[in-house]
Amino acid sequence: MDTSPFNIIIAVLLLPLVGSFLQVALGGPVIRSLGVVKGRKAMGWLAVLPILAAFIVGVYVTGQLAQTTSRDFSVTYFDWIKVLAIRIPFELKIDTLSMTMVLVITGVGSLIHLYATGYMAEETDYPRFFSYLNLFIACMLILVLGGNLPMTFIGWEGVGLCSYLLIGFWYKDVANSKAANKAFIVNRVGDWGLTLGMFLLAVSLAINYKSLPVKSDRFLSYDVILPNVLQLFTGPHAWMATVAAILLFVGACGKSAQFPLYLWLPDAMAGPTPVSALIHAATMVTAGVYLLNRVHILFLMSPFASGVVCVIGIFTATFAAIIAFAQTDIKKVLAYSTVSQLGYMFVGCGSGAYWTGMFHVVTHAFFKALLFLGAGAVIYAMSHEQDMRRYGNLRKYIPITFGTMFVAWLAIAGIWPLSGSFSKESIISAALGDQLAAFGGSPVSQICGYVALLVALMTAWYMTRLMAMTFWGPERWRELVPEAHGHDHARHDHDVPHSHAGHGEDIHGFFFTDEEMAVRQASEPHEEHHGLTADHQPKEVPPSMWVPLVILAILSAGAGYYLNQNGLFEHWLYPNGLEIKAAGEPAEIVPGTGLTLLTVSTVAAVLGIFFGFLVTLKGGRYASRIGWLKDLAFNQFYYDKTMMDASVKGGGEFGRALWQGFDVGVIDRIVNGVASIAGGFGSLLRKTQTGFVRGYALLMLAGGLGVLCWLGYALYQQGGGR
Amino acid sequence: MPSITITPDLIVFVPLALVAALSAIGVVALKNAVRSALCLVLNFFTLSALYFNLRAEIIGITQVVVYTGAIMVLFLFVIMLLNLGAPQLLAEKKDLKIGAGLAGGVILFGVIAGTIFPPLVSVNVIHAPTKYGEPATLGHTLFTQFVWPFEVASILLLVGIVGSILLAKRKI
Amino acid sequence: MITGAPLILYLALGLFMFTTGVVGVIIRRNPIVVFMCIELMLNSVNLTFLAFARYGLWYQGTTDHGDISIMNGPMMIIFVMAVAAAEVAVGLGIIMTIFRLRQDIDVDDMNLLKG
Repeated sequence: MDTSPFNIIIAVLLLPLVGSFLQVALGGPVIRSLGVVKGRKAMGWLAVLPILAAFIVGVYVTGQLAQTTSRDFSVTYFDWIKVLAIRIPFELKIDTLSMTMVLVITGVGSLIHLYATGYMAEETDYPRFFSYLNLFIACMLILVLGGNLPMTFIGWEGVGLCSYLLIGFWYKDVANSKAANKAFIVNRVGDWGLTLGMFLLAVSLAINYKSLPVKSDRFLSYDVILPNVLQLFTGPHAWMATVAAILLFVGACGKSAQFPLYLWLPDAMAGPTPVSALIHAATMVTAGVYLLNRVHILFLMSPFASGVVCVIGIFTATFAAIIAFAQTDIKKVLAYSTVSQLGYMFVGCGSGAYWTGMFHVVTHAFFKALLFLGAGAVIYAMSHEQDMRRYGNLRKYIPITFGTMFVAWLAIAGIWPLSGSFSKESIISAALGDQLAAFGGSPVSQICGYVALLVALMTAWYMTRLMAMTFWGPERWRELVPEAHGHDHARHDHDVPHSHAGHGEDIHGFFFTDEEMAVRQASEPHEEHHGLTADHQPKEVPPSMWVPLVILAILSAGAGYYLNQNGLFEHWLYPNGLEIKAAGEPAEIVPGTGLTLLTVSTVAAVLGIFFGFLVTLKGGRYASRIGWLKDLAFNQFYYDKTMMDASVKGGGEFGRALWQGFDVGVIDRIVNGVASIAGGFGSLLRKTQTGFVRGYALLMLAGGLGVLCWLGYALYQQGGGR
Repeated sequence: MPSITITPDLIVFVPLALVAALSAIGVVALKNAVRSALCLVLNFFTLSALYFNLRAEIIGITQVVVYTGAIMVLFLFVIMLLNLGAPQLLAEKKDLKIGAGLAGGVILFGVIAGTIFPPLVSVNVIHAPTKYGEPATLGHTLFTQFVWPFEVASILLLVGIVGSILLAKRKI
Repeated sequence: MITGAPLILYLALGLFMFTTGVVGVIIRRNPIVVFMCIELMLNSVNLTFLAFARYGLWYQGTTDHGDISIMNGPMMIIFVMAVAAAEVAVGLGIIMTIFRLRQDIDVDDMNLLKG
């Protein structure tokens, strides 16, 4: 296999890395020499260009790949780990899955970089931001291009690190640092599962080396694992497929924010909006879906694991959708929406149709990034106000943002022919028709499919709520009581405990918590920097910000239709089909009524939009009746609080108990005990030193007697009994 | 039981030995330190007589001159100087040490006697030459064979003098 | 062949004096008396030396200059006397110094070496 045209793929990795380094190295000098405005512009272009260049290289490589027949290449650079029986080389795998992800990451990534040059223009730490962002792109590319599990894991950990760095970008506010810590630590829990899965695979392959169809010492490479697992984990070893699959799924849950491990994602909104768009909508959170696609054979071999994936996916989707209804912060709504859509992707994967999961990844990247960037534009226009209850009728003031977000909204709601509808429909049809995912024989994915229809309705509903509150209705910020300073939204939500996602912000770009904001306001009563006052006129965003929005809108609109033609995406991703086929899609949902899936899903979407408008713009009187549900949903059903209390406080108590009980009680006692035993011996022996002369004399006599006796005995013996 | 031949030596020896033994007991048992010292003096005189009995005249004279005449005088001087003779000064209380000491002493006597005496029970023939106790022989030996120990002993005595003067001075 | 008192009687007397001296060292609390018991012990040793010298169990020669080993006994006694003299001088000086410091010469009270 001649891999020489693909050797250039390393450029895709190196370009962002070099970009990150250049930001660090040149950032300070350039800004100092060219002045703040021009310097930042220069550094901004220096940040965007590597990603664009990587995108172009990606396009080239994809073109080369499409011309080959096998569409599966591996480029090895050097041996990273070579120990005894196992060898892990630094290899990049170029196939359709990885190139799809590369295109999405670099394409959407470059658009977001461009957006961020405008959004972060007033940020003091400009180069630092872009170095982190470039580093993130590099790590994500290692993740998707990695040819073996450890390489993927390097990227996995790298994006976790960059997520931490970027969420906590405004680190001087301790709430942001806490959110960053939370993201990293919860991810770690997922990484535990991933690592165990890796070890299980490597060990099981190594132990059964003799019966492997593909014999190689690269035990963790995909091209070695997957064919071997197909043959090996059958019959008596079938349970190992389930265990490995579930362990890897735990890792995916951590990264992709599925049910038990999702609680870092809403807190991650403390980071700047471009970060939320890039990492927590388009790329990092899809790493879990990518992993499942990579090792899909394990899941195909284990109906139980596929069932688990389906159930957790749909549960997360529903749970997050309910919570999204009650959120008032625009970014939080989008965050929960991301969690919900990720659940969708997992339902698709669990049903055996892995390409549907990836399809939704691609379309979701477009419209969710667009939504986040649009939300950023809205926030920018409204002087960093994030509470939707202060918005209203913004379509008059920021038309371009409105137009692009309109497209994204319809896409996520699933209105045909926008992209979201195709991907959702493919997932739901795969779920309904699937016969793979089963818990002990009972079909799980059908139930998931029907619930998914319900979630589609809810998605349309809450997204409509968001759009209606923001762009229609009365201009609620005009009703603000004029204060000497405009940050009075600190008053709200005091009695409802929830994690802070940045309330007040000053010109230096730092967010503060409510208490600190109150202190600042008290001390600086007449600061007029970014007040959202009643007479505020929202302005449209600069071109560096709305150009990416427009591009993403075009993609959201057309990409779905294009990729769905004749199953283009499915055949592109899995040219040889899946190894174990799930059943096809049913023609009718409810037999006998002539309803096809397309009709039902469109009806669901339209209903959702209708209810959304109805309830949001007109339905205030229903609010009190379900007030209890709203509070519950607002607090994430107290899941977050419980988890944090249990782990943080519980962990602290556990540590304290161990310290008191074990460290002080047992270990210290042993050590001190040894010392006191030595001391005890010493005091015992000390009693012989009486200082009493006559006693010493007596002892001398006794000693002398002893010697004499012995001497006499010896002489007696020698003399032969004389 | 070996037969005991009565010789003039034996007749002289027995009373002297009794006196020596009794005065030795007296040294240990008497409460008054002065009386103890005087018992010791008696002991030394008796020993000197025994040395004469053994035909080592020079040793006997040296014993009287050095031990009795110098050392015991020194002892008595110190006792009287420090007024240590008063019996009430040290009321010896009864303690276990006396019993232990006596027992130890008896055992000591028994062990050594049991080891040494059996092979020597019937020795009573004198092999020493007649003149071995004369001053000429002693002097000759002292200044030829034992001249080195003699010199060292004189240095030792010098050290003793210096030390005792240093200890007894009031001011250095 | 000259016959004297049995050697063993001399040895018995010497051993008795020695044992008495040991017992005295252990029993008595007055350091002067302890010293005197030590002198008693030294004298007992002197007697023993001389007795063995007199009875010369191994001796075959004369007092000529050729073989004079019989004189080892009396020589030992001379040196023991010299050492005893020096020892007494220094020892009594020590006792006097202690008495001057403490006004009390009970041996039992001198326990500064107590650990």
